[in-house]
Amino acid sequence: MRRAMLFKSNKWWLIPAFLLAVALPFFVGAYRLQIFIFVITYSLLALAFQLTMRVGLPRFDVAAWWGVGAYTSGMLMLKANMSFWLTLPISVLVSVVLGFAVFSVSVRRGMMVFMMFGMVFALALQQVFGSVKFFGGWGGTPQLPPVTIGSYVLNDKMWIYYLGMALLIFNLGVYQLLYKSRIGRAWSAIGSGLRLASSLGVNVVGYRLANVLVGNAFLALAGSFSVVYQAMIIPTTYGFQQSIYVMMYVVIGGLGFAMAGPIVGALVLTLISESMRAAQQYQPIVTGVITVLIIMFAPWGLLGVLRSRVVSVLQRLLSSRAALPDIPSSLGSPASVTAEEPGKDA
Amino acid sequence: MTLQLFLQILVNGLMIGAIYALVASGFTLILGVLQVFNFAQGQFYMLGAFATYAVASVLGAPYVVAILAALAAMALLGILVYFSIIKWTLRYGFFHTMLATVAFGTIVGQAAVLKFGYSTAVVAAVVDKTLALGGVSLNSGKLLVLAGALVVMGLLYWFMRTKIGVAMQACAENREVACLQGINAGKVFWVTMAVGCALCGVAGALVVPVLSASTNMGQLIFLKAIIVVLVGGTGSMAGALLAAFLVGIVESFAFQYVESFAPLVIFALVAILIYFRPGGLLGKPLPIPGQ
Repeated sequence: MRRAMLFKSNKWWLIPAFLLAVALPFFVGAYRLQIFIFVITYSLLALAFQLTMRVGLPRFDVAAWWGVGAYTSGMLMLKANMSFWLTLPISVLVSVVLGFAVFSVSVRRGMMVFMMFGMVFALALQQVFGSVKFFGGWGGTPQLPPVTIGSYVLNDKMWIYYLGMALLIFNLGVYQLLYKSRIGRAWSAIGSGLRLASSLGVNVVGYRLANVLVGNAFLALAGSFSVVYQAMIIPTTYGFQQSIYVMMYVVIGGLGFAMAGPIVGALVLTLISESMRAAQQYQPIVTGVITVLIIMFAPWGLLGVLRSRVVSVLQRLLSSRAALPDIPSSLGSPASVTAEEPGKDA
Repeated sequence: MTLQLFLQILVNGLMIGAIYALVASGFTLILGVLQVFNFAQGQFYMLGAFATYAVASVLGAPYVVAILAALAAMALLGILVYFSIIKWTLRYGFFHTMLATVAFGTIVGQAAVLKFGYSTAVVAAVVDKTLALGGVSLNSGKLLVLAGALVVMGLLYWFMRTKIGVAMQACAENREVACLQGINAGKVFWVTMAVGCALCGVAGALVVPVLSASTNMGQLIFLKAIIVVLVGGTGSMAGALLAAFLVGIVESFAFQYVESFAPLVIFALVAILIYFRPGGLLGKPLPIPGQ
């Protein structure tokens, strides 16, 4: 009965995708597996970006909050000899509290100020990480202690990969619960029509703030996770360029796909850049050209193309009315671009 | 602090503020009229500096010719970017155009790294004398940058009062009504793109004899332009000019006293300003969809 329901909904592909992800470490070597660990981390970042896009706020401080998580975990392990697992809730707490202080200023000022203020914050934060002696300077922190479970040292790539998968699935699950809840519906309402939502009594600033802080919590977890497989933390990893890449992952995957879009985008772009390892300096150019082409010819990303193709093929085969891709109007469907009135402060 | 030091820091701040003013006013212009958040703005500044280097140092032309060449080249590149990328993505909305400029900026930045590497390109100083003012000596190269920037600002002021400049202001105010009055928005858009990018090109050309050109200067100045626009208020040209000098001077003094923590001082300035004056110094909220 349950199986029938699963197949009737269009989520059947989740099962092979999950099995493939679980079986992956048995097929690829340690080096390749490290690439997939990177994919998981970047997916976590891109998911946070996509979460905030849900309420119409593009954010460019993703990498900075990722760095907050990494530095909190790393510093607590280095200076306080704390167990990695204990640092996880602390890094989430630090990220959310600091995020509340920063965003309670900028969220109420609307999308433009939120975006630009985030960039300025990211710049200042990177300077702090690089310049303060306590954090180890631009060269990076000292060698981090290994992550242990009891007496077992977690350095096997396979278990790191499974830890990342667990984190990713936890992240997806929480987002799914939120999206389906009253909060998620309020977010969608804000995203698709800010003024309408606010005139219907949705607390726009409060819900946006909650959204950004949920994103912050998961970014901090992603940062702590990156401590597991890194020997040291280098401030330039958490710079502006990484935030720009996160934005590219989301668009290449597909803006209309809250869960699969960021993961597919991170997977595709990381594999492309990995396959160009021999010509590393050309990699940003190729990535940029692909992004421009996708924006111009497939504005709803790879998944958008895939879905419309699959749907049209299914339609021809079954000659029935299959659902066309639904794209949240918050992302600016062609009709709504100029229809909006001059906005006031949110 | 001696008068000498104070004046030197002040001149530094004014010079860097003038450069910020040119880049930020180009950015604000494009943001206001096209409603495009141009991430590639800093790369035009970097390309302008390298174009000046190519014309002045490699070809050996006079510096004034090099400035005009940088201006023309960046205006043409801006038009090219408009017709090849931005025009085709405008209909998808604010976020998509922004991302298109991000991707373009990445391409240009990396291409510049491939061509020029990470070393700096130096253009010979135009004037290498120091100016003595009542016992205080000041670097006249920096004063020249300031003077040049002020001339460009004057030209911009004149341009915004010509017919096409007024049309640009009308489009920024309300695009639909401007079109109903018979303004050709398509033409206004590419002219805006040309002017906005040329301003950056000139800024790069002016700064290169003093600071020399490097491939990462584009992204740095872009973030500074963002700060200036936040302080000055989105969509206000006068606010951008005022804020640019304010940020330049604050940064210059902060750099003297707290060195690498200067970005934190600037961040605090921005945070306080956003908190108490949400529209910036002189700004008003922009009509951006989804605001």
